[in-house]
Amino acid sequence: MLDCVVFLADCLVSVSQCIEVIIGGLDYNQNKVNQWTASIVEHSLTQLVKQGRPFKFIVNCAIMQKSGAGLHTANSCYWDTATDGSCTVRWENRTMYCVVSVFAVALTC
Amino acid sequence: MSDLAKEKAARLLKKRGSVSSLGSHDVRAKETGGKIKDSISTVSYIDEPGHHDDNPRPTVQMENTFQLAPHRRFPVLTVNDILKDVLDSYLQEEKYEAELCRQMTKTISEVIKARVKDLMVPRYKIIVLISIGQLSEQNMRIGSRCLWDSSNDTFSSHSFKNSSLFAVANVYAVYVE
Repeated sequence: MLDCVVFLADCLVSVSQCIEVIIGGLDYNQNKVNQWTASIVEHSLTQLVKQGRPFKFIVNCAIMQKSGAGLHTANSCYWDTATDGSCTVRWENRTMYCVVSVFAVALTC
Repeated sequence: MSDLAKEKAARLLKKRGSVSSLGSHDVRAKETGGKIKDSISTVSYIDEPGHHDDNPRPTVQMENTFQLAPHRRFPVLTVNDILKDVLDSYLQEEKYEAELCRQMTKTISEVIKARVKDLMVPRYKIIVLISIGQLSEQNMRIGSRCLWDSSNDTFSSHSFKNSSLFAVANVYAVYVE
């Protein structure tokens, strides 16, 4: 599990870089947000795969326009805590919030 | 060394706001001596200070099952119904309030996980992700992508809306061979 935790801590960095590259400095745009979520998950997944670790990945991304409304997120997982783990990255700019969750489930090999 | 790594990860993961995650643990190992470990459930929240794992257990070596595919597939439609049922019963009459919804997300994710576990689908790991937000003038988009074995692994999703809040629930099921 330690291995997984350290690995996920490194993932945090690469995922936040992905988000920054794709939507950093942009304002919320209804027409583009579909494309943004798709690229964020795709690029994050590619970065994770590049690390070459034996995990299955689930990447979830939520982008919300800033309007004073509140948002709560929770996750609950039934797995082997010795080998599996998750991490969540929260990012915001002037006009939107972005929350990306990464779950890593170990492959038995 | 291990503590440092844990601290670093915990610091990176800790944030204000309502993001919490529950960890649950079920270990069964049949060793050659015939010993069987009992299952243990642990719960931890990111928005409350806590430990990750007090007793890190050594990874156990499993025997081969020679099984190529699950005997029983994950019942997506049943889980869809579970999600609909849980979200409707917990949120139908509720108004959005920060503290209430914070507790509600944690409760609902635990409830959904427990009900999916009750289906007793063998060799599947379950991940439940729930988001509850206030209805206002904003737009929102949620997307997810998974790297897994698409013949065995699957997901289920449901969204709910009432006059003051919306909720989106995702359940991912990953096969362990």
